[in-house]
Amino acid sequence: MSPFSEVRFVAQRELRKSFRSAKGIVLLVLSLLGGTAVTLLLAWVQQLKREKLPNVTPEMIESAREDAMTQAFGDPATGKMLSHTPEVLLAVFFITIWLTPLLISLLGFDNVSGDMQHKTVRYWTLRTRRASYMVGKWLGLWTTVSAITLTMHAVIWVVCIVRGEAPAASAISWGVRLWIITLPISAVWCGISTLVSSIFKTPIVALLATFAVFFVLWVVFLIGLRFNVNALTYVYPNTYDGFLINARIDRWMTGLAACVGMTALYVGASSYMFTKRDL
Amino acid sequence: MSADEATTTKEASAPPPAPAAESTPPANGTPAPAAKADAGDASPMSNPYAKEAAPSAEVFVAEGAKKRKKKPVEIAIRLTKVTKRFGAKTAVDGVSLKVKAGSVYGLIGPNGAGKTTTFSMMAGFLQPTEGVLEVLGYSPMQVDELRSRIGVLPQDALLPGTDKVGEFLVHMAQLQDVPPDACEEAARAVLSEVDGRDWWGVKCSSLSHGMAKRVQLAQALIGDPEVVLLDEPTAGLDPRVAYEVRQLIKSRKGRCTLIVSSHNLAELEEICDGAAILDRGRLVASGSMNELTASSEEIRIKLSPGPAPIPLVRDLPMVKRVEWDEERRELVVYFERGQGVDAEQVIGAVLWVLLQNQARISAVSKGRGLEQRVMELTD
Repeated sequence: MSPFSEVRFVAQRELRKSFRSAKGIVLLVLSLLGGTAVTLLLAWVQQLKREKLPNVTPEMIESAREDAMTQAFGDPATGKMLSHTPEVLLAVFFITIWLTPLLISLLGFDNVSGDMQHKTVRYWTLRTRRASYMVGKWLGLWTTVSAITLTMHAVIWVVCIVRGEAPAASAISWGVRLWIITLPISAVWCGISTLVSSIFKTPIVALLATFAVFFVLWVVFLIGLRFNVNALTYVYPNTYDGFLINARIDRWMTGLAACVGMTALYVGASSYMFTKRDL
Repeated sequence: MSADEATTTKEASAPPPAPAAESTPPANGTPAPAAKADAGDASPMSNPYAKEAAPSAEVFVAEGAKKRKKKPVEIAIRLTKVTKRFGAKTAVDGVSLKVKAGSVYGLIGPNGAGKTTTFSMMAGFLQPTEGVLEVLGYSPMQVDELRSRIGVLPQDALLPGTDKVGEFLVHMAQLQDVPPDACEEAARAVLSEVDGRDWWGVKCSSLSHGMAKRVQLAQALIGDPEVVLLDEPTAGLDPRVAYEVRQLIKSRKGRCTLIVSSHNLAELEEICDGAAILDRGRLVASGSMNELTASSEEIRIKLSPGPAPIPLVRDLPMVKRVEWDEERRELVVYFERGQGVDAEQVIGAVLWVLLQNQARISAVSKGRGLEQRVMELTD
């Protein structure tokens, strides 16, 4: 059997497990409720703006957003592109990027540690290469997270369309694009979560360690920002949202390559360590 | 004599075919299941469906076997100076043993003797610190080479609670490279074999200890592997289920190499051809069950109060030495095997002398019993 088939079987089972477990269902429901609530809140703010600032035309808002985005991403083309994006979707995108690590840590902390705690993992290591098992676990987690965020995004698109925040075509095309941009970033987070989960045999310890690692990465990012040390900011996966949303293809490619590289590094490291360890 | 010499030699590259009277082995040497069913022992757990299900389980083996990369071996498991350390603690210390393909082999020893560690290394769960360990000629870590050729019942590995029994077994079959259309049949067949056909849709977390143990056993047997490792297969089971599990293991005898690690010495004595006795991580004895229990060299007879014609027994030509414990009223007769003399002949001759002299016999046994042997060898 090829390693790809092994990975597929492990990932399929992981997906089934995630959406059947109480934890997976609760997180899906919370994500949907949270996403909807945030969307409604943003829509209400939009409405308030329109009411309080009746003299401000959509063109003026678009122009202001273009300036802001150009400044934020350091690229006029990106600023122009994002000025056309439905505001609610853009805001939800950044919130999703911000909250994805939390979702991943809650979904993934017992991804491997749960199987190691009661030695359930032994049924798999007899039948799959250990590296395939780890890649399958990562893929299963990433697919689960992607499916949850897609569902959440889809609900938001519908709310946007129904409330008239954006035309249907614009909401869906921008919505899909923004969701796709979250995928490489969540892949890296899933890689980190899988690595941490594979180190600890006790899920609660793995959960705390995952929180700690994510927090440390964020602190490192803040230090990098504060002291203008770019190298430090690059260890934080969310840094690459600016690359992946960029209109310049070279920036986009850089962001994608960085995410793929970091994912490969974390999943590779967890596979290597898992292969070497006693179970 | 080493363990491998002591155990029964069988065809190594594949499970030995069932007796000719029972079946006609297919071309690849895999035993024909229908014959087992016809013989009435395909379902040791009294499962009426097992006879129907078993053939399906075997069909895919015959088909799937074409794809397997089999390396013919005579020794199913070989340990060469295997040592395992956990930090400063040495759990297994330079153990060497060989298990011939087709035999049933026991791992015996008190708590902390290194049985489970040795077992776990054989299954690839733990990696030896030193030494070489081979299963069917491969390192246990070579999963792709051993996939579907080895089945393991780990002692304390919980089943995945969120999975239903059926989907868990199907998933295991998929990972063993069973053809997709045969996975469910294979899973149902093996579940029937452990008398669990009604548990297909039951969540693993809802199973009782006995049921879970049997599902664990089912996953170890799925795909008819050539080597099956069973760690404490009857631990914690009620006597009826333990008996049924023993019968199931016995039914596998001759179809594969079985390694059984257990505290239950009577059980091991009953089902094993040979065994290794471990103590404090070291191998203290290994060999055939006859050798370990000295059943081919001594017999023990308990006498009730009354005449005890010991000198007459001593005078028998095949008897080498006699020990008489007056207090326990136990007679131990040592003899030399060979030249037409075996334990049964000696038992017949000694009992004849005793009965002729009005001795009242309360028990007769061959050898010391595995339990006594283990007590002698371990602290």
